[in-house]
Amino acid sequence: MWRSLDDKARSAEELNRLAEEEQPGGFMGDLVEPSTLVSRRAILKGSSIAALAAGLQGCLRRPEDIIFPYSKAPENLIPGIPSHFATVTARGRDALGVVATSHDGRPTKIEGNTAFPTSLGATDVRGQLYVWDLYDPDRSKSPAKREGGALKDATSDEFDEAFEGLAKKHAADQGAGLRLLAPISNSPSFRAMRDKVQAKFPKSKFHTYSPVNDDNAREGARMALQGKATPPLYDHSKSLVTLSFGSDFLGKESGSVAAARRFAMTRAIAEPDQPMNRLYVIESNFTVTGSMADHRLRSPQSDIEWYAKMLVIGLAGRGVDNLGALAKVLQADLDPSELQGLELEWLLGAAADLLANKGRCIVLAGASQPPRVHALVNAINGALGNFGRTTFFGPEVDADEAASVESIASLASDSEGMSTLVIIGGNPVYDAPADVDFARLLAREGLTSVHLSDHRNETTLACSWHAPLAHELEAWGDQQSQDGAVAVQQPLIAPLYGGRSAIEFLAAFADEETTRGHDIVKATHADQVKKDTKALLGLGAPDKDTSPESVWRRSLHAGILFVPKGTKPPVALQGIIEAFAEKKPRTLVSATNLEVSFEPDNGLWDGQHANNLWALELPSPMTKIVWDNAAIMSPATRDALELENGQMVRLKVGDRQVEVPVWPLPGHADNCITLTLGWGRTAAGRYGNGKGFDVNPLRTSDGMGFANGVKAEALPESYNLVQTQTHDRMEGRPIAIDATLEEYKEEPDFASYRSVEPVSTPPLWKQQDYSEGYQWGMTIDLASCSGCNACVVACQAENTIPSVGKIEVERGREMHWLRIDRYFVGDDQDSPQVAVQPVGCQQCEEAPCENVCPVNATVHSPEGLNDMVYNRCVGTRYCANNCPYKVRRFNYLDWQGHLDDKWAFYGDFPESRKLQFNPNVTVRMRGVMEKCTYCVQRIQEAKIAANREDRTIRDGEVTTACQQACPSGAITFGNLNDPNARVTKLKAINRQYQLLAEIGTRPRTTFLARVRNPNPKLEGKGS
Amino acid sequence: MQIFPRELNYLPLALAVVAGGLGTGVFVLFWVFFAPTNLQVGYTPNQPVEYSHRLHAGELGLDCRYCHSQVERSHEAMVPPTQTCMGCHALVHTESEKLSVVRESWETNESIPWVRVNQIPDHAYFNHSVHLAGGVGCVSCHGRIDQMEVVGIVEPLAMQWCLNCHRNPEAHIRPKDEVTNMAWEPDEAWLAQRAEVAAELNPPMQCSGCHR
Repeated sequence: MWRSLDDKARSAEELNRLAEEEQPGGFMGDLVEPSTLVSRRAILKGSSIAALAAGLQGCLRRPEDIIFPYSKAPENLIPGIPSHFATVTARGRDALGVVATSHDGRPTKIEGNTAFPTSLGATDVRGQLYVWDLYDPDRSKSPAKREGGALKDATSDEFDEAFEGLAKKHAADQGAGLRLLAPISNSPSFRAMRDKVQAKFPKSKFHTYSPVNDDNAREGARMALQGKATPPLYDHSKSLVTLSFGSDFLGKESGSVAAARRFAMTRAIAEPDQPMNRLYVIESNFTVTGSMADHRLRSPQSDIEWYAKMLVIGLAGRGVDNLGALAKVLQADLDPSELQGLELEWLLGAAADLLANKGRCIVLAGASQPPRVHALVNAINGALGNFGRTTFFGPEVDADEAASVESIASLASDSEGMSTLVIIGGNPVYDAPADVDFARLLAREGLTSVHLSDHRNETTLACSWHAPLAHELEAWGDQQSQDGAVAVQQPLIAPLYGGRSAIEFLAAFADEETTRGHDIVKATHADQVKKDTKALLGLGAPDKDTSPESVWRRSLHAGILFVPKGTKPPVALQGIIEAFAEKKPRTLVSATNLEVSFEPDNGLWDGQHANNLWALELPSPMTKIVWDNAAIMSPATRDALELENGQMVRLKVGDRQVEVPVWPLPGHADNCITLTLGWGRTAAGRYGNGKGFDVNPLRTSDGMGFANGVKAEALPESYNLVQTQTHDRMEGRPIAIDATLEEYKEEPDFASYRSVEPVSTPPLWKQQDYSEGYQWGMTIDLASCSGCNACVVACQAENTIPSVGKIEVERGREMHWLRIDRYFVGDDQDSPQVAVQPVGCQQCEEAPCENVCPVNATVHSPEGLNDMVYNRCVGTRYCANNCPYKVRRFNYLDWQGHLDDKWAFYGDFPESRKLQFNPNVTVRMRGVMEKCTYCVQRIQEAKIAANREDRTIRDGEVTTACQQACPSGAITFGNLNDPNARVTKLKAINRQYQLLAEIGTRPRTTFLARVRNPNPKLEGKGS
Repeated sequence: MQIFPRELNYLPLALAVVAGGLGTGVFVLFWVFFAPTNLQVGYTPNQPVEYSHRLHAGELGLDCRYCHSQVERSHEAMVPPTQTCMGCHALVHTESEKLSVVRESWETNESIPWVRVNQIPDHAYFNHSVHLAGGVGCVSCHGRIDQMEVVGIVEPLAMQWCLNCHRNPEAHIRPKDEVTNMAWEPDEAWLAQRAEVAAELNPPMQCSGCHR
């Protein structure tokens, strides 16, 4: 088991030396001091003065503190008790239902909404991130207008006057010359207002553009489903065999949260004889979905279409008659020489598995695959009888809306006579396809451009007018997920900087009677209820009041209005056959004809979270790189191109080029390069500006997903990429344990057998009695954890954990309480397997950290928690040195703005960011150790609530932040003394083992070993 | 020849005594006078409104929870909104000079800037509701509020003081329906059963009970 390629190359002695050198959380190399820091001497001088001052201050009367109660208290608001609001957040055409927590009027934390079908109670990484954006200090705070070549602040009145002026002007010419551009929207009210604008300005044109979208799936559905643009939705809990054609359905695809939860249901088995899903993945990049695969085939993206075609032919040849006509066409112009290098045996193995599980399998295609592949996938699922069983279709929405790429291209090409361009959100100057020169379009003589945006981004800076757009937590709205569920987006706070929502701007532009977001949304809501009273989910039961007002109130409370039933459209092969009429030769990739794929970033996405500190410092799940993106390629390709790790490379297609540093990822397809979007922003804000590399200049209209024919040119410079991976190593020991299903059947207790017999060391202190009261414990199921990182951000949000910056991460000073270790498994360096393992404080019963603290700052609680007392901590760091799991984090600098500017890492600490802090958690200062507490604040709140009601805590009442966020449901927490608690039952499963059991720490967190389910007939093929 | 008088031989001793005395003095000064008992107790800030707890809670006999209405639900007892004052004073003493600040707050919708009396450090999390649920009376920490014209601190609110009760809650608890009764004294029946009640309480003594 090895952690990185460098490790594999190193000798054992060298690894030992490195492991010794590496101090927990404190590798001090020859690093450049950030300019904001002061010298060690100054710190000592200053700290002694500070200590003296603090000492004196403690003796004197504390400053007078004023309490400001309400004059007239709002109804149902109890100071000190958080309120929860069901709301929703947009995912392109999809939506994620969430519950937002508000402390005294400040939204602080986002959780999933159990009632909403795309969430099922969990969130993804972005669901956790977006509350930070609300308090982003670099949000636009006022309207602005262009004056003398530069954007200058303007008043709201000035903007409104100009905006109304534009509306009046175009009312006269019916909107000729008026163009509007907005990102893809999932909002019924937005569509209603868009229609109003178009009705008022009939000659205007409305364009949509989102750089990351599901357009290919929509177009593919159009081909296969008689023109219906409804992308398929999958129920993974019913699938026993899943074949993914480049789909990262557990990571970055739409609907990944519910997919992960349902997928985990068929993977986390309690007994060896339970039915278990088998996952086949063909992909270019190594994604989190690939890491969950039982059989993973690395392949260029362009070859995936060929695999899909061969699967159709293979299935038709094995008796799936429905595909016969299509297979005939595909086979007709197939030249066997074109199939060279394809792993057809692997594919046939998967096909046999699919055939054996008709109606209980899923074939799915990635968002970057062309529509033709999506069409094939629909045909295959239809022919295998999966429709209505594992594959469903939602309602068709915006059927005649053109694909993003075409829409923005037509805006650019058909700009004759355009005099006004209103851009609602988005950032096309940064993320439009490279062949659409959006900046030049905006620079046209005589064009009035208006950008409504939350930030003054690259696009804003090129426009003539700007007004701030409200955050999702600040404005009324409504959203619809792909399966048709509608939820109202409730504001939790008045707009911080006077922003308005898109629907409010559009209503004002269309000169509607009401421009209040609330009224618009309520009107749309009432319309929907009228149209479809039958579909009201649980809200419109016969005995309940179905008046719009009553339904409105109940749907606000539940966070969901209704889910229309999924449809089961018939497949028509004719459309697909037409799509394949034009023959496209197979592209063979090579070192001189490389393929690049574009992927949204794990945290930054398409760049919309580029200034988000949590997103910037979130390790990329596979490479563990923070604060940067890179050209990810296989080690073999790196060597073939004669590149070094971190060396800059120039990637060229025609005259377009980008320069990116190189990073190898074992398991990546050869001669392919993956580039992540969202980086290299120039107007993101103080944190995100200039971080990473902008790869959009290489992304053209015909290669939004991937492009071939790329040349690489090595550059002499090298770039410093920082990973969290090489820290915290645990070499050569049974850490993340896994076995195949066969092995599990033979040895049901393989986990304890492969791990080490837990030893019992004589305790140094009096042994505690844990048989009484609450005893907290946790299990983490490695069979369902995909390493998606949602828990890491959730922990950061709940516990006010700072981001520390690239240089400090390089020094090993990252603060994440919960990290996800990623191990490569297997001897095949080109195509290894991956094991992931989330590690936070293990809450050892015999905790080594407690024994070495000279000031009793970390002590054991009778409930089995390893308590950390910040106020006692003097910062010796002995505990971190003695922690075998390396989970303790030290505040080397003042991250949270306690002290004055020069002590803080980022210069001044913006006040707005403090609004996000969880009031139930102490804000730690410089010189203090911290670590995972099992969310002790939530435990205490639950205990207090139970005490008030004179009962004990119920199972499931305390959930830790990581558990709550986890889409896979891999984390379970509860009282070990409760025999009926879920955690107690899971601890009884035979897959359970302790991490580093041989040192006798008796951790309260235990892991359930992973089970892989490889196809016995496919041994040695693919991986 | 003696340059220095013989008496000077006692100088080091005298210095030691003086230094020792001074040291003890400083120590006593910090230990006794700078302790919370001295620094906290007795702090009685002036309030923007001449509100008399003696009159309202004592003479008129208002229950504490009439104004501090969330004390059983929240960690905060809650300083009441102006609304609560106006509930009565819209009808009673409507012209009183002393109430001008209250009326102004009601009309302008601005808060009355009450000065905080009891304050514990930011890293300590105190919850009113759970103490009431456990049967700790208001008077145990706040003293005879019903006899105070202006409210001040009567107990040190120091960690040791908290722990004394957490370690031995028996002497500080009362029947739950008597928690707001300022003048309550334990009767025989209570004395007989309170040890049993206290045994059920298990107040936290681990650090994370109050420090998170």
